[in-house]
Amino acid sequence: MLFPTATFAIFFMVVLPLSWLLQPRPRRWRPFIVAASFVFYAGWDWRFCFLLAFSILWNHVLATAIHRRSSPRARKQLLVIALVGNVGLLGYFKYYDFFVTSTNNLFALVGVDLPLEARSIVLPVGISFFTFMAIAYVVDVYRGDFEPVRLGPFAAYLSFFPHLVAGPIVRPGELIPQMSSPRDPRYVDTSRAFFLIGTGLFMKVVIANYLASNIVDEVFGAPNQHSSLEVLVAIYAYAVQIYADFFGYTNIAIGVALLLGFTFPQNFDAPYTATSITDFWRRWHMTLSRWLRDYLYIPLGGNRGGRLLTYRNLMLTMLIGGLWHGAGWTFIAWGGIHGTALCVERWWRWRPGFVERPWTRGRRAWHRFVTFQVVCFAWIFFRSDSFADAWDVIHRLFSAWGESSPLVTGGVLAAIAVGLGSQYLPRHLPLQLMARFSRLPIPAQAAVLSLGLLVIHAMGPEGVAPFIYFQF
Amino acid sequence: METHETPRRRPAPRTAEGGRRLNSAGSAVVVSLAALFIALFLNAPGLHKSASIQPAGWKRDVALGVTGPLESVSSALFLDRPRRALKAALGRSDDDDIDTAVAAPQPKPTTIPPTQTPTPAKRARFTPNHKLGVWIAGDSLVIVPGESLLREVAGNKAIGAVEGIDGRIASGLERPDVFNWFTHVSDVMEQDKPRAAVLMFGGNDDHNFMTGIPEGHEVGTFGSPSWRAEYRRRVATVMDTVTRNGGYLVWVGLPITRDSDQTQRFDVINSIVQTEAAKRKGRVSYLDTYFFFAGDNGGYAQYLEDSTGKLVKMRADDGVHFERPAGDLIAQKVLDQLEEHYDFTSWRSGR
Repeated sequence: MLFPTATFAIFFMVVLPLSWLLQPRPRRWRPFIVAASFVFYAGWDWRFCFLLAFSILWNHVLATAIHRRSSPRARKQLLVIALVGNVGLLGYFKYYDFFVTSTNNLFALVGVDLPLEARSIVLPVGISFFTFMAIAYVVDVYRGDFEPVRLGPFAAYLSFFPHLVAGPIVRPGELIPQMSSPRDPRYVDTSRAFFLIGTGLFMKVVIANYLASNIVDEVFGAPNQHSSLEVLVAIYAYAVQIYADFFGYTNIAIGVALLLGFTFPQNFDAPYTATSITDFWRRWHMTLSRWLRDYLYIPLGGNRGGRLLTYRNLMLTMLIGGLWHGAGWTFIAWGGIHGTALCVERWWRWRPGFVERPWTRGRRAWHRFVTFQVVCFAWIFFRSDSFADAWDVIHRLFSAWGESSPLVTGGVLAAIAVGLGSQYLPRHLPLQLMARFSRLPIPAQAAVLSLGLLVIHAMGPEGVAPFIYFQF
Repeated sequence: METHETPRRRPAPRTAEGGRRLNSAGSAVVVSLAALFIALFLNAPGLHKSASIQPAGWKRDVALGVTGPLESVSSALFLDRPRRALKAALGRSDDDDIDTAVAAPQPKPTTIPPTQTPTPAKRARFTPNHKLGVWIAGDSLVIVPGESLLREVAGNKAIGAVEGIDGRIASGLERPDVFNWFTHVSDVMEQDKPRAAVLMFGGNDDHNFMTGIPEGHEVGTFGSPSWRAEYRRRVATVMDTVTRNGGYLVWVGLPITRDSDQTQRFDVINSIVQTEAAKRKGRVSYLDTYFFFAGDNGGYAQYLEDSTGKLVKMRADDGVHFERPAGDLIAQKVLDQLEEHYDFTSWRSGR
């Protein structure tokens, strides 16, 4: 069930009032919200519901068992079992075929024919997201950061439909406490919720879809048919498309949760205004980067083992982060580019005699520009199906200047400008808009929202393309 | 039972960051419902079209039952005007129109009787100054092979793509209401005059429901004689529209799919296309893709070895669409067929 569809609108208009009616009775509300979330998930493929149910039971049983054991050895063994189950599930559904083909082809290079066969496994939507949330829960319980809850609250946490298929990756400590006491129906941040849903719909339905169909898909599909200018604009357009797509989804998810009375963490903070790659990862998919930091980078040793180990840990974290996005070498390369950039930045700061210079307007602009170019360069690999395709894009970027560029239209440039420009808006502007909206009478609020829906629906294409991040 | 009662008295206004007022859950429900209700009327023409082009079934029936009256009311109250004005301003006034006409081409002298085989003509020669215009179009299945074909011919300056890749998701010959290919093919052939067309249709046509049926006619379920006759008429219409002015058409057949029932349905469509292509020998060629993507046991295979012996993913996770290596394979075969008909390489040797 995609957010920007009539089906979801009907589903949500049933769930929203019922959820508030049942909120004062958590024992009724929890089964209701779990059932609603399973209905939402079954909208893709009902068979995947068994997988989600298995993940809930597996992690609940093991987290509870970890909590009850006092022996560190037994606790560690249970943690390992839980992690193997989670990683195994993800590995089987997401990486099995990738592993088989890569291994077969590697051995074929030396003339060895392996009997491994690919299984054409269908990737269940959202598995990467709910598996990471489940791992966070088990690890937090193991570390003693969080006390395990009963099956009902845990099922509600893991399956809660606003975050289920594409995040944000919400920590147990952020959501489960909210779910264990009823939300106050007198104070709901409706204006922020509507603002997030409205901007999310606009970014996804209008900006992301427009750029995809008017330049990105065409250029990345056959780069050598296009001029260098078209390739350059398509790379920037893809940067905006993926931002608009994922930022849009996240905004809708956060807004929907907010209407139900729950607060999710922020997932984006104007990422293309970042002044370094380190800064970029503080602003892009923030809930994933902090997950990678807390459950991968720090357990690997973080920056505690000296410079070389820090570089290693950074690279490993980003390579695994790349692989998390997709079972392909181009995703690993994408992670590698970011990892390399992070290492270079560390190395630069650790140079003898390095002094942090104050930010001037020019210096900030230059850093933003360079960071954006590095991020866009990495997106080429992220978007391409293979290294050969990525190379075609890069090669074409430098080899066809001066050719006609019919795809570089005013509409494409305007959409890119909106996608980038929106990240440079003063922070008080949306706050002022929300404040004004919140003081309007109810009929006026409804009228404003319906006009917004009119504009988005009229400007968007027929049908809605799936969100890019669903495939991860 | 675990319950938490909240006070019933009117709450004092509370504000959040930036001074925005927090509202009650009741107002959230009311505003959401009211906004959606108004938006239904404002967007009624688009919603009605979306309902119409859905796959046949109870969901479509319900959607039409709701959006039909909604559109009438919206139109009567002029609530559809802002949308129409906005669409006009965007240059997309036709977006909400539903065109189901299956426009047959005017008979031309080039129509060759089925039994008659044309004399093989000398291959027409194309050069960078006299390019072979190629139009690649069809449903979503054509997109990946189309991209491969464009990449394949990128170095050949004697070939020029017309309109990039004209792949329309969820479209086909069965449902002109979703996208009217008959009008579109005619328009492209008229305006852009491509000498070669690479088409792939049928991926969304394996259903019972067909629109654009001539008045007084009835069409049975998928695969029935009446369905076959109507689908044959549509395939012939497209083929004749493309070839009536001397264009050459390569029609890419549907592949084996993960779902064996679907593969059987695709076979029905393929056999119709193959028969119609055979009637137009010299003008239309049919590219059978079935065996390209069958495994050793003759069944569906997602992973196959490419020409270098490397195991590659040929088919997308949905078991229907193509991955890049499959696209490359089809593109090469299409190019071979085009080369049998046209000469677009001899210019390189300066002959």
